[in-house]
Amino acid sequence: MASVKLTNVKKVYDNHVTAVHDFNLDIADKEFIVFVGPSGCGKSTTLRMIAGLEEISGGTIEIDGEVVNDLQPKDRNIAMVFQNYALYPHMTVYDNIAFSLRLKKMPEDEVYERVTKAAEILGITEYLLRKPRALSGGQRQRVAIGRAMVRDSKVFLMDEPLSNLDAKLRNQMRAEIILLRQKLDTTFIYVTHDQTEAMTLGDRIVIMKDGYIQQVGTPTEVFDMPKNLFVAEFIGAPKMNIMDTKLFKEGGNYYVKPFGVKIPVDGEKGEALKSRGVSEQEIKLGVRPEHMSLFFEDGENRIPCTLEVNEMMGSELHLHVLAPDGTSLIIRVPTINLSTAQKKQIKNGARLYVGFTGQVMHFFDRKENNNLLV
Amino acid sequence: MSELNQAGNSKKHMGLKAKQRLSNSLVYVMLVIISIVWLIPFVCIVLQSFRMESTGRVGYVIPQVWGLGNYTRLLETNFPRWYLNTLIIALVVAILQTIIVLCMSYTLSRFRFKIRKGLMQFMLILGMFPGILGMIILYRVLDDLGLTGLHAVPGLILVSVASSGMGYYVSKGFFDTIPKSLDEAARVDGANRMQVLNKIILPLSKPIVIYTVLTGFMGPWADFVFARYISQLKPLGMNVAVGLQSWLATDTMVHDNYTLFCAGGVVVALPVAILFMCLQKYYVEGVTGGAVKG
Amino acid sequence: MAPTFLFQEHLKGRSMKKYTELEYLRLSKGKKFLYRLLSSLASIPEKLWNGIKGIGRFFAKFFLGIVHSFANLGKTFVNGDWKTKLSYFIMGFGNISRGQVLRGLLFLLFEVVFIFYMVWPQGGLYWLKMLPSLGLQGPEKGYDEILDQHILIPHDNSFRILLYGVLTIFFIVAFVYTWRANIRQNEIAEKILASGKKLKSGKQDLHSLVDDNFHKTLLALPLTGIIVFTVMPIIFMVLVAFTNYDAQHNGYTNALFSWVGLEEFRTIFSWDVGGVNYAATFGEILTWTLIWAFFATFTNYFLGIFVAMMINKKGIKIKKLWRTILVLTIAIPQFISLLYVSKMFDKNGIVNGALQSLGLTTSAIDFWGTPSLARIMVIVINIWIGIPYVMLIATGILMNIPADLYESARIDGASGWKQFTKITLPYMLFITGPYLLTSFTSNMNNFNVIYLLTGGGPTNAAASGAAGAVGHTDLLITWLFKITTQNEPKYGLASVIGILVFLVVAIISLVVYSRLPSVKNEEDFQ
Repeated sequence: MASVKLTNVKKVYDNHVTAVHDFNLDIADKEFIVFVGPSGCGKSTTLRMIAGLEEISGGTIEIDGEVVNDLQPKDRNIAMVFQNYALYPHMTVYDNIAFSLRLKKMPEDEVYERVTKAAEILGITEYLLRKPRALSGGQRQRVAIGRAMVRDSKVFLMDEPLSNLDAKLRNQMRAEIILLRQKLDTTFIYVTHDQTEAMTLGDRIVIMKDGYIQQVGTPTEVFDMPKNLFVAEFIGAPKMNIMDTKLFKEGGNYYVKPFGVKIPVDGEKGEALKSRGVSEQEIKLGVRPEHMSLFFEDGENRIPCTLEVNEMMGSELHLHVLAPDGTSLIIRVPTINLSTAQKKQIKNGARLYVGFTGQVMHFFDRKENNNLLV
Repeated sequence: MSELNQAGNSKKHMGLKAKQRLSNSLVYVMLVIISIVWLIPFVCIVLQSFRMESTGRVGYVIPQVWGLGNYTRLLETNFPRWYLNTLIIALVVAILQTIIVLCMSYTLSRFRFKIRKGLMQFMLILGMFPGILGMIILYRVLDDLGLTGLHAVPGLILVSVASSGMGYYVSKGFFDTIPKSLDEAARVDGANRMQVLNKIILPLSKPIVIYTVLTGFMGPWADFVFARYISQLKPLGMNVAVGLQSWLATDTMVHDNYTLFCAGGVVVALPVAILFMCLQKYYVEGVTGGAVKG
Repeated sequence: MAPTFLFQEHLKGRSMKKYTELEYLRLSKGKKFLYRLLSSLASIPEKLWNGIKGIGRFFAKFFLGIVHSFANLGKTFVNGDWKTKLSYFIMGFGNISRGQVLRGLLFLLFEVVFIFYMVWPQGGLYWLKMLPSLGLQGPEKGYDEILDQHILIPHDNSFRILLYGVLTIFFIVAFVYTWRANIRQNEIAEKILASGKKLKSGKQDLHSLVDDNFHKTLLALPLTGIIVFTVMPIIFMVLVAFTNYDAQHNGYTNALFSWVGLEEFRTIFSWDVGGVNYAATFGEILTWTLIWAFFATFTNYFLGIFVAMMINKKGIKIKKLWRTILVLTIAIPQFISLLYVSKMFDKNGIVNGALQSLGLTTSAIDFWGTPSLARIMVIVINIWIGIPYVMLIATGILMNIPADLYESARIDGASGWKQFTKITLPYMLFITGPYLLTSFTSNMNNFNVIYLLTGGGPTNAAASGAAGAVGHTDLLITWLFKITTQNEPKYGLASVIGILVFLVVAIISLVVYSRLPSVKNEEDFQ
């Protein structure tokens, strides 16, 4: 139970590659924070620096107000779950979980108490005498978590703990981590490349790319107000549609004109543009697939498209359509709103119409790809 | 068309089976021949060690008079002393060499320190110098320390063990295959580096430890060059290799000692070979791992 | 893509034509091979040049580093406090005065030992002073009253002077390094104290030896061994190559030896040294060494793979037994098997006995007395010793070749032979490239097989008079051994040969290593 503070943290490898640039972050006590980003973005490196497994090239890391830069991992009082679980193959599950306690020279009675309690919480009591080899992926994952749980550590670090599990198990374990978090009530730092995990688990999300923090915020903030094009495209699946267009003013109101279709920027977004006095410019316009509506006939502000690929996901359709200039767009359409006749109409090569309102638009400048409204 | 194809195929199929049977029997024949070639010298050596009617070389293999005379004669020579010498050397070298090799290879596998790469390149280059080159000076240094001639045993141990750190490749290759995250997990769990080695890595390294002990133990039985030079052919300071070779130095000696040599060879080879065969699995693991790692 | 397409700069305008990748694809098979061969040969000088440049760069960096660090030392002296300044003269003073007693005492102890060693009457300074001359006063004639005869009374000892001279230089280098470390410590300590932090205590220092400095603990023993028993002897012997150390100048009891520069190198490359053609002898032995290494490596390699494939063949039973029989030659110490086999093929050996009693030959075949026959015999017998290693390695690799490679080849219509040449062999060569290289170089130095089988013989009459009783199967390494162990050893000459062996091995490794497929195209089979 502790706060973690990273100030100007930097990691430069021996081959002069900088993995992390000037990382600043305050993590509050008992907060669940998620580092997310594509591979090679520096998220794991940052976590490993907090753990003490990677030397810190610059800046300071504090845990509970104490600078830990020069401390060995064993002296930092942290617990960590590794991507490949890192269970000790020659020890039984019981010994694996008890390992850290025994290193602390805890009396065997207490070790027994703690290990069995953790095993009970995780539902692995019956496997305590097995070796990791004899366990399934999900069970190994639980042992790894159990090993971290028994320690009463100040900070709980997790490095892509679910990435080796299959999709179904991953969803289940995700829910269990949420439950675990409620039980443990400590500070969590969680690394993942999966934006769904980040959104569902984190109190706050840190989105990273190429060693730089792109945005820090709650799941709602990063979804609704992505700071830049990268965040916008990274969060949400399928990813946000991007259209090259011009933002212009007519009669005091803002308009965009993707593919020659003039659409007014109404609602909150329009007001925000006005109050900031954003100038007319070439922009990248972003609209999420789930925020686009599908029409079967032409109408006002609708973009005529050709259906290219149709992915049936069960509860919804992912339609890949081609806009008039050949740009590819994706639309998510809940199947519940479609009649049988309409479903039949959706086939490759069909003419469809796409529309959206100002409320769901995101505006990014062409040069820096930054959100004009943040 | 398709019918034709099928017919052709089935014919081919039949042919395949017959062909395989033929080629397999060919392989068996060759394997048997190879096995005979491989075994002949060893069979001969064993048979001749039981020959009682003469001591020199003869044109036949199967003894006319069988007996254990050569083996009892061994006891009257310096052979027991050589055997003891070699056994002591082998045991001590096996233990010390294993410790040194493991220290070296574990460090190079797990730690990233400033001179690591340079050190490895340096040792690679050192390895290109012929080892015999340093013999003269090592002899003189050991001589100054009184570890030559009669007292060659500690000298030989010292020489064999001292540079064994350079043979780290195979076990480093093995350590490299143990996931680093195990070390890291243990360090986060509160272990210092030494505890990581003792409690995590070593228990997982049984195959490579056995391999290193085995090669360390077998080396001294075959050590010839250094042993010869350092013992200066002083009878009590020799190991079995130098000793047995000295029995065959000239043609007249061959005439007197040939069967004795065979008996000595059997006594030396038997325990070493049995040990090797028992631990063959680990040896194979080490050799293949080492070659694949490069 | 194979880098052979892209031609090295220095070849521009020479006879080699450059092809683009697409042009290359249109060449005929023979032309492709020729082209690759020529281009790889053409790149050898560049490889060597790069190697030399690399070594040059290393030394440049090394010396720049030294200059740099000494410049820093000056700065530290000017900027440091009085504790630091005093540490330039009394090592460890800064540590002790700042509370790091353990470290300080170790530094101080080292300094005291060093100074004592240097000023001792027969200590470091003495050896250093004698090193350039390797001894001033040789043995002189004297009269022994007890024995009542004239004897030689030895004085200086060249061997000791060279040995302890080298050791002293080692010691001085170590001292300078430690001295510098001592000053660095002050520098760092001042910085840490200035930032308000605490210095590590002796207890913490000891703790770190099993934790973040554990590698130093682990390396201490192995590296000491290597430095004392490998590096030091090598440096010593390289120096001996520049002296006339031999039986007539043993450095103590009969005459001192002294520096002779490149004299011994000149000997080995001379056509006429007292009637002996050393250059030809050396050339002949080197050629045979390379031929031997080539055949010893590749016969074992291909036959080993062949045997492994036979044993691994589908439908072959008792695989384990076949393997165990083969592995016997590894299990039984070589000196027994080789000595025995050597006697088996002797003139009065069992083989000749058998041949004669079967009536196949009338007179004994002199396997070891005929030069070419002896050479063939050592290669053949080496197969017997060497196949099992390759067989073991090949078995491991064969089982690792992904089965789907063969399946897809069979679907593409490849025959068994095609499968072998297009999949098994390339895969094998790819993985075992480094092994082949090391096995080639270690065969060049394969003392045991040659020495135990033939002892180098039969005698090479053309080289009579040359040191070391040269024989037709002698490798450089056995020649070296003979020169140092013969009745009148020539240590200087032996060292020269040792250095040349090193050069040959180093050049081969340098040129071949970077061309190995597993080094060049790491990803191909992964």
